[in-house]
Amino acid sequence: MIKKITSSIMIFILCFFMLFALTGCLGAREINDLEIVIGMGVDKDEDTGNILLTAQVVKKDTAGRTSGDASGGGDGKAFWNVSSTGDSIFDAVRQVTHKTGNRLFISHNQAVIFGNDIAQEGLQEYIDFFLRAHEMRPTALILVAEDRASDILDAKPETEKFPAMNIAKLVDTYGFTSHFYEVNMKDFASCLMSPTTAPLVPLVSIVQEKDCMDIYVSGMVAFKKGKMIGKLNHDEVRGLLWVLGKVKSGVLIVPSPDEQGKAVLEIVRVKSKVTPEIKDGSIVMHIKIKEESSLSEQTTAENLATDKAFEKIQEATAEVIRQEIMAAIDKSRELNADIFGFGEMLHKKYSSKWKTLKDNWDEIYPTIELDIDVETKIIKTDLLKKPVSQSEEEK
Amino acid sequence: MSIERGKINSQQLLFLIAGFVQGSILLIDFTVGITEHQTWMVILAGLAISAPVILSYVALAKRFPGMNLVQINDMVYGRFLGKAVSMYYIFFFVMTLSFNIRDVGELYVTFLMQDTPFIFFLVVFAATCAYAVTKGIEVLGRVSHLFVVTGLFVIISTFILLIDQMDFSNFLPLFELPFIRIFQGIHIVSIIPFGETVAFLMIMGRLNKTEHAVKRTFFGLSIGALSLLVVAVRNTAVLGRTQTIWTSPSFQSIRLINIGTVLTRMDFLIGIAQTVLIFFKCSLFLYVLVVAVSQLFGLKSYLPLVLPLAGIEVIVAATVFQSPVDHAMITQNAGIIYSVPLVFIFPPLSLLIAKIRGLPKFERGKET
Amino acid sequence: MFRYIFKKIGYLSLINKHMLQNTKPGKNNNKPISPDLEKNLEVIKGILHSSDLAVHEFNFGHDRRFKGALIFIDNLADKKEIHKNILQPLMYDALLLPMDMDFTQIDTIWKSLISMTDNVKVTLLGDLLDSLLAGAAILLIDGSKEALAIKAGKRDARSIEEPGTEAVVRGPREGFIENVNVNIALLRRKIKDTDLCVEKYVIGEKSKTDVYIVYLRSVANPKLIEEIRTRLNRIKIEAILESGYIEQFIEDSPYSVFPTVSNSEKPDKVAAKILEGRAAILVDGTPFVLVVPMVFIESFQSVEDYYARPFFASAIRIIRFLSYIISTLGPAIYVALTVFHQELIPTQLLISIAEGRERVPFPAILEAFLMLFAFDLLREAGVRLPKPVGQTVGIVGALVLGEASVQAGLISPIMVIVVSATAIASFAVPAQTDSGTILRYIYLALAGIAGGFGVIMGLLATLMHLASLRSFGTPYLWPVSPLNLSGIKDVFIRMPLWTMSKRPKAISRNSSDSCNQDPGLMPAPFKKGSNDSK
Repeated sequence: MIKKITSSIMIFILCFFMLFALTGCLGAREINDLEIVIGMGVDKDEDTGNILLTAQVVKKDTAGRTSGDASGGGDGKAFWNVSSTGDSIFDAVRQVTHKTGNRLFISHNQAVIFGNDIAQEGLQEYIDFFLRAHEMRPTALILVAEDRASDILDAKPETEKFPAMNIAKLVDTYGFTSHFYEVNMKDFASCLMSPTTAPLVPLVSIVQEKDCMDIYVSGMVAFKKGKMIGKLNHDEVRGLLWVLGKVKSGVLIVPSPDEQGKAVLEIVRVKSKVTPEIKDGSIVMHIKIKEESSLSEQTTAENLATDKAFEKIQEATAEVIRQEIMAAIDKSRELNADIFGFGEMLHKKYSSKWKTLKDNWDEIYPTIELDIDVETKIIKTDLLKKPVSQSEEEK
Repeated sequence: MSIERGKINSQQLLFLIAGFVQGSILLIDFTVGITEHQTWMVILAGLAISAPVILSYVALAKRFPGMNLVQINDMVYGRFLGKAVSMYYIFFFVMTLSFNIRDVGELYVTFLMQDTPFIFFLVVFAATCAYAVTKGIEVLGRVSHLFVVTGLFVIISTFILLIDQMDFSNFLPLFELPFIRIFQGIHIVSIIPFGETVAFLMIMGRLNKTEHAVKRTFFGLSIGALSLLVVAVRNTAVLGRTQTIWTSPSFQSIRLINIGTVLTRMDFLIGIAQTVLIFFKCSLFLYVLVVAVSQLFGLKSYLPLVLPLAGIEVIVAATVFQSPVDHAMITQNAGIIYSVPLVFIFPPLSLLIAKIRGLPKFERGKET
Repeated sequence: MFRYIFKKIGYLSLINKHMLQNTKPGKNNNKPISPDLEKNLEVIKGILHSSDLAVHEFNFGHDRRFKGALIFIDNLADKKEIHKNILQPLMYDALLLPMDMDFTQIDTIWKSLISMTDNVKVTLLGDLLDSLLAGAAILLIDGSKEALAIKAGKRDARSIEEPGTEAVVRGPREGFIENVNVNIALLRRKIKDTDLCVEKYVIGEKSKTDVYIVYLRSVANPKLIEEIRTRLNRIKIEAILESGYIEQFIEDSPYSVFPTVSNSEKPDKVAAKILEGRAAILVDGTPFVLVVPMVFIESFQSVEDYYARPFFASAIRIIRFLSYIISTLGPAIYVALTVFHQELIPTQLLISIAEGRERVPFPAILEAFLMLFAFDLLREAGVRLPKPVGQTVGIVGALVLGEASVQAGLISPIMVIVVSATAIASFAVPAQTDSGTILRYIYLALAGIAGGFGVIMGLLATLMHLASLRSFGTPYLWPVSPLNLSGIKDVFIRMPLWTMSKRPKAISRNSSDSCNQDPGLMPAPFKKGSNDSK
């Protein structure tokens, strides 16, 4: 009995290890063998018309060191921008191995930057790989370069080690201004799948300052049917975000009541509600915005912390917001792109009528009427109750 | 007399059923492609439709205490027809189990470990299931609540982690899809997670007390359905329109978790939960299959059959389907057609025949 | 070569013969004692031809007309005692008794002269020898068919000290010692109840070791006691040198890495377990007392949990669970993540790991094995060596192996952190150190072969194995699985003592009223209002 059990256990163990010996370790990849990609750029090769893929790879021997003692390896850069061409993105990804000696590991890809030429041609055909590849994460950011993506990846920032990380950080902090917003792969795919909504993607530009190049997000670009059709500037994007309720924070500048200077407000909280309505065949969008802000700066000597002043500032703020929204709407009408997703809102409320509306949405969209109602409130004045001025006190 | 000596109590039955239904979490992804944002109501409708049928299983098991499905079939339909019906059930068990085993392999090959051979996962997974089955139903029953708690923990925690990315307007418009698609969805849901509980007819005979069986079964079913519902709601709310394009919406929604760049890359949560839950389901199914086959051949113990049948399952899983697409097509189309009589017709019919012929009393007299 | 082997075999057979000869007289041990003193002495000397056998022949009584002999093993019996309490009364006090007293009757001597307790009358030679070897002095009287075995044994015992393996901050400092009688006394002092049963067994053909089962008759499950009896009676072994021998013969699953019999050196701990309905098995010659049945959760409980207030005790218990998880899974998870699932590591961390590993020539799995091996080596060396040297080993090991290998680029710094965390965590749950060490290597191998999948499969198989284990009829994972809600109060956290009014259901005698205290003992301050209303 015991012998039988022992022998069966032995056989089991033997089988177990044979199984491992025969099949095991095939999926193993040591970290040493990884080329960790933290950013990717997609451009068009001007000569051949093929895809020019630039991958930003971490240099493992210098990456961990502080920038001070990076003198050991080469030019002191912690990254290596390796590029290759191919007929498709995946082809190019595999072509890179000719240069790196290792397969690219793109799970840690922070951002995919598309060059201007690619964006104009249309992202529909290039986005597939980034959604389908198992290593790509749907949280990777999507960006469009003002010119070429590879230039953006080349611009070494002062504090960060990796340009791609820097860009991801730039986009991540959009909340302080609400001048653009974060768009990841999944969001972009979601908009692409919608028959009407026009996706927006942040636009990164390079500005030459003294001897170094700085990267900044200069706005957003709108896509229609996968093709880039136009650019929205900071205020227009915020106008859009007011409607979508995605404004996190930001600065509003309004003239002070005595028109001597400015009152600068910081947006604290925003709530918005959009209710579509179909009335006698015409579509009205009721946009209701509730905004709360704090008085963060003032440039006049007048004491703004009074009920009267507040009332005036609030009115002025509402007007500023309304203007921003109108700017965004004018732009979207000009591009004839439904950047607000009004179509989806209608779809959700009037699903039966939507079927007829959907087919000629391009004609309907510019005719949509808007009913904007902005309510603003100043809720705090930060550390000061009164401005630092003598004259106010004397009165 | 009986092949299995272990006993379970009705509380364990509750968790067994709940864990079994939770094991189908990966399989809702089939339905999502058809029913899109209305999956949640399809799950509820599926539960509503299949609950009475499943409760009829309990009634059947109560009527034939201590007996399993094969014995009941023999008794109700006579020796030859009964055997034929049992064979049909065994075919169903074989196919369903191979679907599930294949799911694990696909999960790993697609998402977690792309470079490891597919067959490796199947073999190791089936071997582990076989090990669990050799421990008997009593051990499976004893640990069932651990699996359910793990499943619930992952489902609820991922729901909470994703709550700031949810957009509940994704559920609108409430009714949009054509009824035929909803119907198809209900059909799939009522068979795949819920209808498969017909396998419990092989287990319910081991209940030590049948007093609360109906209540507990329903409760277990509700826990399972609730888990599926939460997952479906999470996926729809997070992914919205895109949920239909992913191979596994659940996986993609978990990959979106990003809280303060610290709580991120939580794929392991769903990996663990799905592996563990499918393991539980497959172990139960393998147990049911092994017991059914040994009962059919009149063996004294089911243990010698565990490894051979697990091996057969691996071969079936590896060879019957060519690709995940094929797998999904067979399950969605053929699978739910041939299982309809097994799930919806035979058990209530058996109950009816047993009632008319007054069967168990007659047999019990003979036994004692 | 062959000659050597044959020589060995010849030697072995010689030993066998010798042993047979040795055991031969043992077979005659059932002979009765003969009334002839000389003959008896001859027989005894014949069997025990050992130089430490002391035979003292003497005449006593009026006119010294009675002949007697006192036999004892020189170093086992206490000569002072013998002199004072046996010889002196026989030689002198006997003269004070009436002349006509018949001292050939052992009973007369026993009752009127011997001033020692714990005496046994023996009639068989075998029993006589057994008592003699157990340290008794044997009084043989010419003309009597009986002999008196007088327990005059002295025993060198260590004083009661704090046990080295289970030190506590708060709680009694006493520990069991090698003398089983002292140990039983220690238990008796904790549980002064008439229900406390002590059953004696003598196991071991040569060692004749005293083994005691101690339990509470009204609380312990009678089936459990019956099971222990049958398992103890089954043991046919030459010698029991430590309770570990008993453990390995009575445990439920000898093929499992998990222990199903617990042991302790602390009387308060054993007493607490006896009060829950468990049975303790005390073995002479070792301070380690076995307690059955054992459940897995016990390994994470410490006596101090119950002496400290519940909040801290619960926190510490959670830490113990975590540390067990870290100690078994730590290296495995690290290897699975860095070799198979790099996408789950946060980007910054991945980059620093990659940087640390850049010069390491080994695959991560080998690196982990090397480090774990080095750790186990250091630990083993540190335990066996004398204390001051052991510390040196630790320092040298930590400095040389840790620091220098990182400097040399053989091991990545993160691996050192992982393995040291594992090492520290492995000491937090002493009862499962064995299983933890083995599982750590198994999981590591699984992780190296199949990554996360391997680890999950390993965990599931372990769970199934644990759930299928039983210890003397109690499911090993009780009360977690099968689920017992009143038992779970004392698993992951320790509820206050006043909430735990019931004995563990799966362990103690299954009666509905198995309460060990009144329910509703929750302390409450004196309430003014309630008194006023009366």
